Amino acid sequence: MTKIIVNATHKGGEGKTTNSIMLAEYSALIKGLKTLIIDMDPQANFSGRYISMEYDPAYRGGKIPALHPDFEPETDSEWDGRSSIANIFYGEEVIPYPTAIPNLELLPAHSHKLQEAEAVTKNEVLEKVHLQLRRFLELPDVRGSYDVIIIDTPPSKGPLTIAAIKAASHIVIPAQMEQFSIEGIYGMLQLWKQESYYRAKENQIDLIGILPNQVRDIKLHKQFLEGLKLMKGVSDYVMPRVIKKRAIYTEILVEDANPKSIFELPKTNVARLEYEAACLYIMERAFTHG
Amino acid sequence: MAKKKVFQISNALTEGLEETVTAAHNYNGELRVEIIPLKKIELDPENPRDLILSFEDLHHGLDKEDKDYSRKSEEKSSLLSLANSIHEQGIINPIVVYKFGDKYRLVAGERRTLASILAKKTDIQAKILDKKPNDLKISLLQWMENVERKDLSLWERLKNLEKIISSFLKCDNEGIATVMPVELSRLLGCSLPHAMNYCAVLKADNQVKELIRSNKIKNLEKAALLSTIKSNELKISAIEACLNGATLKKLKSLSSQDKFKKKFAIKTMNPRTQGRQASLVNLGSTKKINVARIIVDSVLKNEKLLHLNQYFSDLNWTDYNAINHAFRQLLKTLEQIEA
Repeated sequence: MTKIIVNATHKGGEGKTTNSIMLAEYSALIKGLKTLIIDMDPQANFSGRYISMEYDPAYRGGKIPALHPDFEPETDSEWDGRSSIANIFYGEEVIPYPTAIPNLELLPAHSHKLQEAEAVTKNEVLEKVHLQLRRFLELPDVRGSYDVIIIDTPPSKGPLTIAAIKAASHIVIPAQMEQFSIEGIYGMLQLWKQESYYRAKENQIDLIGILPNQVRDIKLHKQFLEGLKLMKGVSDYVMPRVIKKRAIYTEILVEDANPKSIFELPKTNVARLEYEAACLYIMERAFTHG
Repeated sequence: MAKKKVFQISNALTEGLEETVTAAHNYNGELRVEIIPLKKIELDPENPRDLILSFEDLHHGLDKEDKDYSRKSEEKSSLLSLANSIHEQGIINPIVVYKFGDKYRLVAGERRTLASILAKKTDIQAKILDKKPNDLKISLLQWMENVERKDLSLWERLKNLEKIISSFLKCDNEGIATVMPVELSRLLGCSLPHAMNYCAVLKADNQVKELIRSNKIKNLEKAALLSTIKSNELKISAIEACLNGATLKKLKSLSSQDKFKKKFAIKTMNPRTQGRQASLVNLGSTKKINVARIIVDSVLKNEKLLHLNQYFSDLNWTDYNAINHAFRQLLKTLEQIEA
């Protein structure tokens, strides 16, 4: 069964995209699993790490994926040469992009189209948006092509995040150990709860847990983490792995970074060990639960 | 030295997080809705029914030789309007079933199922439970189903409620009234004031209950109000007003007379505590000349004060200024006498 792991929290800056990147690269580079990554965030940062994104001439500030490498203008008269995950909301075909990393393919974002789907309010259409990603990922062709699908979500609780959660087999909530972040966890748990009400018992959504992120050696972070671990029931969902605040995690995202991936650092590197442990925990959990 | 810093996640947030996780664990799968074939649904022989019409009767048509033919055809025609709306729009709330072998047994939604067959549907939306729910759960599910129904009388709702409470508290009819509003509001997922109203009505005396049973009182708030009036006279007049169509507001003002004395007593027991210490008695004022007159008349009945009659003998009792003047004179004289 293909595992579909969603990184979600509606608060920004918690590490959804970074965590999606780490998981994707761990899955493809270290585990050698056939991995598909999906960028549901109109900001398109996740996509931009793996393919070149262009500014949308029709929509200021928005981004669109570059032309697909398989596109041949002479023969593909029906296709404009670009493909994004947003196509599923418009009944259009979706063609994954290859990346520089073997085993890793991408369905990139398309800012304007995703924002349009996010802005839907009419009930009938809304329901369609909510279920569309799940329907797409249930296609035998999609399932058959990948072992793991990793989805990055926008910082919102809107239709795109809900669609990702409805499609997910597993969720990870990255969170800083700070006031607003913990409030964000609460909001995310509501979505998880709601979804678990709707799922059949044999097909439940598995909350892998809250990943304490950007943790610093300060009292606030330590005490909030302890507080979460003491909460009844909640403690089971605080991952026993912690990601500390390190410059390397953002340095690695710079365009001409060298090496490009944390998993290309020496095996004894502290940062690599730290993220490897977290990814291993998530993957093992995904392949043993649900 | 600076105070040591301690950071704690607030109680409200902690509580919210804990409740969310518990709820997700306890109720996962509860709202799953699927579409199942009508042919696979059967009645639960252990559950009591209101109707005698069976699924077969509708699948195959009524048999004129059937001894219950007339009652069954009556029931069938009572389902027609529901069947029509299902034909047009489908069902609004899914029925509830549980798995039984390769069939589904009905927990709630008998009328909707029958009407769907009548509407020539082949399948129906259903919430599917894994196993037969216990009595409490069945009565709760039936409650939730019925809350949506407009044609359900207050009496029927109360009867449902009694079933829920007795299976919740595992008690007999006597014990039902001991349920606390907080428990009830949690059980039903309704607001506390709403639960308080139900609790009040459960404790109502036979007179009020009889009026609810005969559907003369239909409104929960009014019934609750009537159930809480202690004074018998007041209750009789409030019931009469209610039956004559008094509004809830009107009834509230009526019943508040019951509490009037109490309120007054509390006020006099709590003299003002703010401001300067009082050093004189203010005799107050009134617009009602009659009241002033009662006071004067009572004072002048005192044998020792008969001579004060002089201030009032030819007073013009329609002139406020004159009355005020006379009162001041009276007070001054009284002060002198007592000094």
